[in-house]
Amino acid sequence: MENEQNRLICRCEEITLEEIIQAIDNGCTSLNEIKRYTRAGMGLCQSRVCSRLIARIIAEKTGKPLDEIVPVTARPPSRPVRIDIFSPRGCNVKNS
Amino acid sequence: MKRYCDSLVIGGGIIGLSCGYYLSREGFKVQVIDSMEFGSGSSGACDDMILLQSKKPGVVLELAMESLEMYRFLHMELGCDLGFKQMGGMILIENQEELAVMEEFVSSQRSCGLNVDIVDREELRRRQPHVSDRFISSTYSPDDSQVDPFLVMKGFINAGQRLGMEVRYREAAVTAEKNGAGRWQVLTSTGCIVEAENVVISAGAWSNIVGGLFDISIPIFPRRGQLLITEKIPPIGETNLWSASYMVTKLRPDLAKVRENQSEYNELGLGFSFTRTAHGNYLIGSTREEQAGFKKLVDYRALEALSRQVAHIIPLMRHVHIIRHIAGFRPATPDGKMILGPWPGKEGLYVASGHEGDGIAMAPITGKLLSDIFTGRKSITNMKELIPRCMVV
Repeated sequence: MENEQNRLICRCEEITLEEIIQAIDNGCTSLNEIKRYTRAGMGLCQSRVCSRLIARIIAEKTGKPLDEIVPVTARPPSRPVRIDIFSPRGCNVKNS
Repeated sequence: MKRYCDSLVIGGGIIGLSCGYYLSREGFKVQVIDSMEFGSGSSGACDDMILLQSKKPGVVLELAMESLEMYRFLHMELGCDLGFKQMGGMILIENQEELAVMEEFVSSQRSCGLNVDIVDREELRRRQPHVSDRFISSTYSPDDSQVDPFLVMKGFINAGQRLGMEVRYREAAVTAEKNGAGRWQVLTSTGCIVEAENVVISAGAWSNIVGGLFDISIPIFPRRGQLLITEKIPPIGETNLWSASYMVTKLRPDLAKVRENQSEYNELGLGFSFTRTAHGNYLIGSTREEQAGFKKLVDYRALEALSRQVAHIIPLMRHVHIIRHIAGFRPATPDGKMILGPWPGKEGLYVASGHEGDGIAMAPITGKLLSDIFTGRKSITNMKELIPRCMVV
């Protein structure tokens, strides 16, 4: 059981199953709220990997049907993008 | 169902939770309600700075300095890590005109007791090797600090709950009236009536909407800010950074430089802030938009402008990835000072809000001052500049 609790749910931010369950026990009921409470989903993949796992944990813990669990707020960019892609004029710093 | 408490705090962001905690510490029975979720408002969409250098000498700077002193020991009082770090801060200066304005500003801050200096090009390079050569000097204060807002909010909640404070998210105030005994009766969205001796409105950018339930008009409006969040990278400089051009625009509008994209700068209210979080991500800011209302959206124009700006100031950043682009609402007031104290003509109604971009920095001192007002330790006549004042929005 101890191993189970230490299982990483969010790999980017290294958040364990135990921490997710603690957040739910402390009253978090949505993916966004668990993210702000634990940082799960704040990393490089922006919760693309862990949000389904967390949705299932919420469903199991609270009895809320999976399809009623609202996805996390999506914000651009949809995957990590280098800053120079957005700043074409910034490439030539001397002239910008 | 009916609930009873001494103080009902409406708004569970960092300010409301601080007020709730410090009132609980004085023995008041406190309930905090919030129509939204934990961290879903401005306290979860901001940077993490306790920035003293941007404050004008006077009550705002004095309170910010006091708040910083409280933050140094707050983790011991709340019994948890708050991500407090003192990295210091530098405001980058590009030309002689900016230097003259900043020299005057820095000396007025020094006379208020702030530990801040102007450093030369050499020291700037030493502390910030990756900043563009175009900057001729910079300010430096070792005191500028930061905390993780989410950890501070969790800390206030947990420590408050140990003192009997109750916090409920997803519960909005719907109507408010006084009963025959002069106590507030606040009907909430869950069908509860909360009866309270005092009500504190600490709903940040949304305060005026809550104020409407009490027939008052609070001069607080949302000023949107957009920020970019980078992947985690090692520190690329010793301190967090800002640029003087924005400060100069505020202090001496006549010197504001005409830029290539002036109208875009004005509309977005673009200023430069560059801070490294406790977790290793950089937060790149930011815009100050007046016309966005409560539209919590980001736009490509801001993404491009913020990217161009950071690449211009720190060329190395061109190689770093953006992972998220966020927006939040600063609770702004017409005179730029927070509103704190009893509302005139409404017995038992208090406002603690309107911190604009300083909510994280000012959270501990705000809750402390409010509890001092409640217990009578602080007379509001000493706080003339902050008590609710009539202002035209």
